[in-house]
Amino acid sequence: MLAPTFLVLMAVGIYPLGYSLWISLHDFHPSNPSFPQGFIGLDNYVNVFLDEQARHALGLTVLFSVSSVAASLVIGLGMALLFNQRLPGLAIARTLILIPMLVTPIVVGITWRIMFNPDLGVINYLLELVGIAGQGWLASMNQSLLSVIVVDVWQWTPFMFLILFAGVRSLPRSPFESAAIDGASRLQAFFLVTLPMMRPVIVLAVLLRAVDSVRTFDQIFMMTRGGPNMTTDLVSLYLQRVNFKFFNIGYGAALSWVFLILLMAAVIVFIRYSGFLRDAAEKEAQ
Amino acid sequence: MTGRLRPGTTPPARSFAASAPRGYRLRQWLKILAVYSAIVAALAFFLFPYFWMVASSFKSPGDVTAYPPVWLFAPTLENFRELIGDMGALSALRNSLIVVGVSTCLALIFGSMAAYALARFKIKGKEAIALEILMVRMLPPIVSVIPLFLLARQFGLFDTYWILIAIYTLMGLPFVVWVMRVFIQEIPRSVEEAARVDGCTRLQVLFRISLPLMLPGLAATVVIIFMFAWNEYLFATMLTSSAAKTLPVVAANTVKPRGIAWGVASAAGVLMSVPVVVLALMAQRYLVRGLTFGVVKG
Repeated sequence: MLAPTFLVLMAVGIYPLGYSLWISLHDFHPSNPSFPQGFIGLDNYVNVFLDEQARHALGLTVLFSVSSVAASLVIGLGMALLFNQRLPGLAIARTLILIPMLVTPIVVGITWRIMFNPDLGVINYLLELVGIAGQGWLASMNQSLLSVIVVDVWQWTPFMFLILFAGVRSLPRSPFESAAIDGASRLQAFFLVTLPMMRPVIVLAVLLRAVDSVRTFDQIFMMTRGGPNMTTDLVSLYLQRVNFKFFNIGYGAALSWVFLILLMAAVIVFIRYSGFLRDAAEKEAQ
Repeated sequence: MTGRLRPGTTPPARSFAASAPRGYRLRQWLKILAVYSAIVAALAFFLFPYFWMVASSFKSPGDVTAYPPVWLFAPTLENFRELIGDMGALSALRNSLIVVGVSTCLALIFGSMAAYALARFKIKGKEAIALEILMVRMLPPIVSVIPLFLLARQFGLFDTYWILIAIYTLMGLPFVVWVMRVFIQEIPRSVEEAARVDGCTRLQVLFRISLPLMLPGLAATVVIIFMFAWNEYLFATMLTSSAAKTLPVVAANTVKPRGIAWGVASAAGVLMSVPVVVLALMAQRYLVRGLTFGVVKG
């Protein structure tokens, strides 16, 4: 019964990866006269480590992911607590707020690019209404990264909220009653009861979100293509240029592998230090 | 997500009891007001871009780029007409429906079978297998797009449905396998054993007994894998040229080097997002389960 899954996994998952490993050891460049031959060993990998642009892209990706995940965690957690009240109308609001995560990323990119337009965009118009001068947003070197982070936060905070809200809802009541009897303030209850009890859910949400955020491509490709002046040139966008603009396929494969290995390492470190496995083991033991 | 509140699992929701003393009551009302304003602010931030896109899709070329932006306008279907006429959105819609439909079904069938085996049979290293399947989810598409492009060329699959169907099936599998595994583990074995005693084969047990029991949760998984395949752009644009072009590619084509056709781009956005938004909101009660690979209960 596992056979069909394995077949798909091998044919579309593992085999292309192996092929990419093979490519990464070659001077795989369509303009190369001996294309696609030319075994060059680890030269491509050496070039990755010498490539200033690759380091820049990696740094930007880390900055982008960490800020986006952190912001959506804080906002999502705040919203999860905010919506955890028995008031009329909240159920509908909760449903509507999921819309951003359902919209096609390509469309999200285009829509925000239209709204961010410095001259005709609705965002600058609204800002001017309240007396703030129009900003350059995606066109500005100082604000482009911030702008794409805002869009990522907009699209994926609902995802965080959805998971964290489920977590908040499943919290048992008694620890909060004990805390109240012991005279804990709201703030104390949040930091000493809510957060520790929510930890497994928070860790899971952050892990899922982080793994997705480092792959972000569509929205940014639609909004900036990595510009202006490489200020939003994340690894995924740089890779796109290496492969489809410079056609340096061998180098692109090597860069992909370095990126993949760093990503795996980060995930393993995160899992180890966040107590994810311990939580899972405890759950299993119950 | 969450339905009715069940006794025993009542979360620590704060109730604004009206039985409080008088001075206290004013503070309660102020607090409710603060909660509602925060919620309205959140709704405004998260819904405005979508609202703006829908509004723009019905604006005439003059209205859509007007400054200051117009809020009241005479709606027109011009953008949708251009999308279907000049941009070839209809054939892309058909392609999208075929590719996404077939791959969703395949992922569902293959994934259920694998999940059933992983949940019920004694298999060596099954945790490792399950993790390996999950790892697929982590793979950045930009990493595997080049090898898949070269392989598709080599095997004559470039610009056909098959290559996209295969990729989207793989994309959907981790969700199906993981979510179904949890669901299957929750079905008491005795139910299945009874069916076995009555003469059902293993596969019959799966498709006649277990699957119907898991149907509601399964619906959300279907919505999720449908959504990810429906919205996928990178593979669609790199592995097709014209015959198998899907909707996200058409949407992206509204962005041209000279600029964006604002109205048509918005119309494409509306066309693409409506099915997913409708489906997902219908299945939202179970979305959490699906999106967290079965780990978090909604």
